[in-house]
Amino acid sequence: MLLQTRNICKQFNGVYALRDINFSLEAGEIHGLVGENGAGKSTLIKILTGVYSLDEGEILWEGSPLVIHSPAESQSAGICVIHQDSVLVPTMSGLENIFLGLEYPVRRGRVDWGKMREAAQQKMRELGLAIDLEQFVADMTPPQKTCLEIIRAMMQECRLLILDEPTASLTDHEAEILFGMIGRLKERGTSVLYISHRMEEIFRLTDRITVMKNGRITGVVRTSETDRESLIAMMTDEWKSEASEMSRAPGDEILAVRGLASADGRVRHADLSVRRGEILGIFGLGGSGRTELLESIYGYRRLARGEILFDGQPYRRPTPQASLRAGITLICEDRRGKGMIAELAVRENVLLSVLDTFARRGILDETRQKACVQEQVQALDIRLASAEQPIRELSGGNQQKVIFARAMTTEPKVWLCDEPTQAVDIRTRSEIHRLLRERAAAGDAVVLVTSDLKEMLEIADRIQILVAGRTGPVLENQELTSVEVLKLCYGEM
Amino acid sequence: MATGRMKKILQSYGKLLALAAVIVVFGLLRPKAFLSLKNMINISRQMAPLVIISIGATMVMAVNEFDLSVGSMASLGGVCAALLAVAGMPTLLCFLLAAAFCMLLGIVNGLIVARFRVLSFITTLGMSTVVDGLIYRLTGGATVFQGIPKSFSWFGTTRIAGIPLLTVAMILFVAAYWFFMRHTVAGRRMYAVGGNEEAARIAGLAVGRYKVLAFALCGLMAGLTGVAVASRVGSANTTAGAGYFLQAYAAVYIGCTVSRQGVPNVIGTLVGAAILSILANGLTILQTPTYLQSIITGGIIILAVIAQRLGKESV
Repeated sequence: MLLQTRNICKQFNGVYALRDINFSLEAGEIHGLVGENGAGKSTLIKILTGVYSLDEGEILWEGSPLVIHSPAESQSAGICVIHQDSVLVPTMSGLENIFLGLEYPVRRGRVDWGKMREAAQQKMRELGLAIDLEQFVADMTPPQKTCLEIIRAMMQECRLLILDEPTASLTDHEAEILFGMIGRLKERGTSVLYISHRMEEIFRLTDRITVMKNGRITGVVRTSETDRESLIAMMTDEWKSEASEMSRAPGDEILAVRGLASADGRVRHADLSVRRGEILGIFGLGGSGRTELLESIYGYRRLARGEILFDGQPYRRPTPQASLRAGITLICEDRRGKGMIAELAVRENVLLSVLDTFARRGILDETRQKACVQEQVQALDIRLASAEQPIRELSGGNQQKVIFARAMTTEPKVWLCDEPTQAVDIRTRSEIHRLLRERAAAGDAVVLVTSDLKEMLEIADRIQILVAGRTGPVLENQELTSVEVLKLCYGEM
Repeated sequence: MATGRMKKILQSYGKLLALAAVIVVFGLLRPKAFLSLKNMINISRQMAPLVIISIGATMVMAVNEFDLSVGSMASLGGVCAALLAVAGMPTLLCFLLAAAFCMLLGIVNGLIVARFRVLSFITTLGMSTVVDGLIYRLTGGATVFQGIPKSFSWFGTTRIAGIPLLTVAMILFVAAYWFFMRHTVAGRRMYAVGGNEEAARIAGLAVGRYKVLAFALCGLMAGLTGVAVASRVGSANTTAGAGYFLQAYAAVYIGCTVSRQGVPNVIGTLVGAAILSILANGLTILQTPTYLQSIITGGIIILAVIAQRLGKESV
């Protein structure tokens, strides 16, 4: 056994992210790690690579205890990780990137380039990989970059290579090249821990699979002795959709999207239809383009092609300003980065979008502003000392309510909500749910993105499936189970 | 508890205390020369150009950008005004046209930064070189002084009931810009853009428009500074504005610590400029050698930036 963990636990703010993890990995095997969004895969990897420290339990490396405090310690033990987003310096050559974290060989005070090249070439021969070392990383294709990262990882004694969603940005053909590399590593006896949402890859590459759910390991199976259905069953509880307490009759279509693609290629082909008075959920796995789809409709992200119809009229060239004027609002996933202005007062954050309506000839009327903010603070029950305090002093839940209050001031008809309950407390979460239901009952349309499938089944009326930037089927959220939804997400890939 | 409160007081009023301390020290050392009404009025006139140019720098920093061309723009403003006066144009028109031309260049700065989303640091460095070239083309590198009419010095030398017109103009500008940043839609939105550009964009603000506005105002104020300096000395030096560039940003940085949020603000900038000017005046009265004046002033600027950093971290 190369790697074993014994009862590893990890908590964040009193909540268990990992609980009693007993994971094992044999020398020379390719081991798959699967689980839903937030199941704890990333946390486990971060513990193995020294990014997080563990609260309880221990790690055994070749049978003896190993303490990992930092990424450097993990590396020197022989654990290397290749992340989803490559960490290379684009303005440097392949050769220099390989030596980035290593000692440069030096002869008489100057870098010995010949020796560096020799060392890299020898490693490439050993691995059976080929790459132009003089090429700049900026000019390399995605699989070339992955190849480069593998060579870099292998320059040191690497016994365990962790690949985190390595094919997320690769085409099918490029993925084939990567699979070839992984095969050669296995022949050399290197173990690989392979994390992916793509079942096809998991079944094709791995020897064994560990399944995680809610911070626990729910199953370890031999790949040859299982199938997709039973894996998915291990990944999720049998959540049934809950009939929403408010019975709403959806009205006519208010927003339609046809053949939408974003300029950056994250959304490839999206069709949507949203009706007044409904909550439409968009569910997809990490990297499926959920956030990007909402941002494209709102006009924050550039479109490559496609058509948006708002209230039956074509909505061309969307911009945030035009969207707000038309009655479309966006609650961002990234509250700190794109939602709030940390240093400004709560009042100014609430009124950010509509400030000009509180002015006469450009000069602001503070009394009217305060009255309006007061009204919103009471309506949403925002807990604060004063509307004049900076928003950063508020708790996460109250900050999110301020963002909702801002949306309310623009009187939207369509709410695009991206992870609206992320990092908020339970009370706020149910208040936000209630607010969204109320808006729908009042005739607004809500488009909800959440990676929490349980939440989705709780409040969405219909669920639009999104897979790798393409919209799939739409499911009526009645008697729906999480297994059915996940099957579609892990489906045709 | 007590130290916490002490820290808060220092954070809120630290710069005003520093200003008071500077005045008290010089007052004790040279009571007659320094504390006289005449010297105070003198200081207020000396600091007026610095305050005017610093207000412009405050605008650009409020939208979280930087304008390296303010010094060159100020020189250009003075040169343009002087050349137009030599050509026989009415004095007031010379001043306004020169300031308007600098404002136009500021708009160009803003449009480039907003449209192409490039670093303002580099853009305005380029603009400053372009402006230097323009000045050389216009003057051949020589100070403009021959043929300037007497009336040209009106702005820089007139006194109203003993108070220099420059001082009055400075006070009016501070009041106007304070009101603009505090009580108008445009001013508040500039702070929003500077606080979090992406959040402002998503909230529907025309981010680019406010950046252009900030650069335009910065160009305008730099031009006016050049005009004021040229009018005071009755000639236009081709590098008159160069010395103001660093001082202006120093004033803004010192001023940031005056506000609770640590953002650039007009009143803070006034305090910052006052500290720098009183320091210069007092050190001159004490007959401190020039090299020591530079070292002391530079040291204070560095301390102010560190103080601002510490202030932000502690919250």
